[in-house]
Amino acid sequence: MKEIILRSLLVSALSLFLFACSDSDPVFHDAERPLRLSDWNLYALSTDELVPSEASLVFKPANQLFTDYAHKMRSLWMPDGAQAQLVDGEIDYPIGTVISKTFYYPRNAQGQFEKSVDSGLERVDLTQNQLIETRLLVRKESGWDAFPYVWNDEQSEAFLRIAGTSKAVELVSDAGDLDFVYFVPNENQCSGCHTTSHPDGDMQPLGAIASELNSKFSTTADNLEFQTERLLSRGWLDVIPNRMETKSWLDESNSMEERAQAYLNIHCGHCHNPNGAADTSGLILNGAHSININMGVCKPPVAAGGGAGNLLYSIVPGEPDQSILLYRMQSVEPDEMMPELGRSLIHTEGIELISRWIAEMPGTC
Amino acid sequence: MVRATFFCVHNGDSFSQYSCSAEFTLQEKQSYTEGRLSTLIFRQREVHSIGGCSMNTKIKTVNLIALVSACLLMVSCGQDEPAMPELSFEEDLQQQLIQAQAGDVINIPAGTHEITRSLSLNVSGVTIRGAGMDSSILSFKNQIQGAEGLLVSANDFVIEDLAIEDTVGDAIKINDSNNVTVRRVRTEWTGGALTSNGAYGIYPVQCNNVLIDGAVAIGASDAGIYVGQSSQIIVRNSRAEYNVAGIEIENSTYADVHDNIATNNTGGILVFDLPNLPVQGGRNTRVFDNQIFENNTPNFAPEGNIVGTVPAGTGLMVLANDNIEVFGNDFIDNDSVNILIVSYLITEIPLNDPNYDPFPESIFIHNNQFRGGGEVPDSEPLAALQAATGQPIPDVVWDGLLTEDNQAADILCLTQNGDASFVNLDAGNGFAAPSFDAGQHECALPRLSVISLSSNNQ
Repeated sequence: MKEIILRSLLVSALSLFLFACSDSDPVFHDAERPLRLSDWNLYALSTDELVPSEASLVFKPANQLFTDYAHKMRSLWMPDGAQAQLVDGEIDYPIGTVISKTFYYPRNAQGQFEKSVDSGLERVDLTQNQLIETRLLVRKESGWDAFPYVWNDEQSEAFLRIAGTSKAVELVSDAGDLDFVYFVPNENQCSGCHTTSHPDGDMQPLGAIASELNSKFSTTADNLEFQTERLLSRGWLDVIPNRMETKSWLDESNSMEERAQAYLNIHCGHCHNPNGAADTSGLILNGAHSININMGVCKPPVAAGGGAGNLLYSIVPGEPDQSILLYRMQSVEPDEMMPELGRSLIHTEGIELISRWIAEMPGTC
Repeated sequence: MVRATFFCVHNGDSFSQYSCSAEFTLQEKQSYTEGRLSTLIFRQREVHSIGGCSMNTKIKTVNLIALVSACLLMVSCGQDEPAMPELSFEEDLQQQLIQAQAGDVINIPAGTHEITRSLSLNVSGVTIRGAGMDSSILSFKNQIQGAEGLLVSANDFVIEDLAIEDTVGDAIKINDSNNVTVRRVRTEWTGGALTSNGAYGIYPVQCNNVLIDGAVAIGASDAGIYVGQSSQIIVRNSRAEYNVAGIEIENSTYADVHDNIATNNTGGILVFDLPNLPVQGGRNTRVFDNQIFENNTPNFAPEGNIVGTVPAGTGLMVLANDNIEVFGNDFIDNDSVNILIVSYLITEIPLNDPNYDPFPESIFIHNNQFRGGGEVPDSEPLAALQAATGQPIPDVVWDGLLTEDNQAADILCLTQNGDASFVNLDAGNGFAAPSFDAGQHECALPRLSVISLSSNNQ
């Protein structure tokens, strides 16, 4: 009897073995909340490489959120036969869609984390990089759900940490070492940004949206088509959005105004929009306004507390040093800094951009 | 509830020599009790989650084959099973807040619990309950992330019998929520009245049906108890001390503020309406039966904030709000002025909001008691007035600003306030001719109705 049971165990073990250890497609979990990232089968993981499943599309939004200079690899996957629809110009993803974003830091020869430009890798070499976390947005029957997974130091597994976690990081840069605490958001914090219509809205993707995918991305440089066109050619989208290429704040061929608006939109607009959590402040930064008081020009603070930095207005044209907006971007105090979440360091490059934009802005208060 | 984690160890070369073990943990504790599981004998009654073997569905009876197969699977893949991380108190608490369901009570045990990151709740119908505002303490002294101590966006929310101390920003922010009860909660910055303290203690904003009862708010660099852009509000039996503003009702409608103690603040109770906000037109607030005394703490608000304009020593200040009834209060020894009624224009902040009415209207002040106050005014026009008259500032001060369509009596009615004194500052004419004659204000206005909250605030 014992032998028979053992044999049956062997058979089932082998079948599971084949399932989990081969490079098969990702798995959509609807009711369950897997405690391990590997249960989604989104990646092939060896001791020296993390490679997204071939069934996934690696993408990069036109504008990326600053996260303490972490590099990011994003993937999108839909179940067989599923297709997103374009509804009112926005991509409505089918049930089963899994969007992933893996955060990692490059390591130098001494093994230290290093600040460098994120070129957008389509696979992560684990001998050169350290995985930190992988966030999933999963389109379930009930709507989008967020899953923050945190990698162990050995890079052998990432565990679901719905309460988030923190990690001390030392980042080597040309301008000196940056010591800070890297925060993995908890699930509420995920929805804090991804619920753009507060409080009754549903979570929404912020990167894999029509505007951000109306941009070109390729690591091979020979296939520079819009990412929305790639979705179309995979059969993952019914129609491509009819719109211009989305401006990137990084692209210096765009005007200062376009770049600043793009930067503020991706970093602030998820809360500072007319329906967002930060509408209580009356400050709207999602590009819905031209330059006026709603965008902060000569607007007094409402409930900023110390975040006002003893300054009178959000934006004082021509005077970045007198502008609360810039003050809060330059702060790392938890009660003053903006965005409130997603960074512990200041984003020097973003500050330079917004500072120049305000400096060039005509008018006075 | 029992959680179990299984893993297998390869003991030898032959298949039968794998041995699986199980780890059990009670959900309340995060400590593990380890137990060995022999290959075929398994006594566990109910298993909710099998993390180690990649099974997450709730199963009533253990499917041994799947279980052991899953265990073997990990061995087959040639990996040691990576260990699950353990949770700290705050991670466990945050996890409870995320996993809560309507009807749940989340208990905060007695003791001082150090929290380093903002806590948040998005699930409606949840109660957070401590063992008393002096025994269950969430201390944010070493907070390193988040603009609040606790951020709530959930209906039918109750928080009671605990304290939140030393948050870097607001202590409790409740945003866009209906049926909110804050009962016997203390928010405090323990270092005293410091500009570096967080802005708000208890801070519901854009909420309907708000009850704040028996709360204590100390040390906020803006307002201790602040209800903003909300409707249907009761703040009662509470104590606000050493804040810039003790209790503030801002851009809100239908509020009762009664039986509170406001003392040692810069301003005791403020009723404001401000421009450029999505919710404005503040009106219908009753301020009654409160003890408002010795609110003489120097203004320590960060500059640029509207409460930074409140003179130290203000008892009650009404700014641009309409239909306010003030009665049965004791105003004692508020050194600048016991009651100050002003237009937004007095702030001299440029106004750029066509939808905003900067003038207060229909303020009805009756049957209050006044004693002392007005002897050390912390405001240029008030100090000038005192210098000119040699007398303390009168009990009730109105800036005198109004539109052409309005009469003095449309702004302010005063009746049965004992021997309370009055002044119209004549701010519209550069404070040229202040008038101490309350004759134009001897009138009464209809009483405002009692606020009754939805039955959910019980």
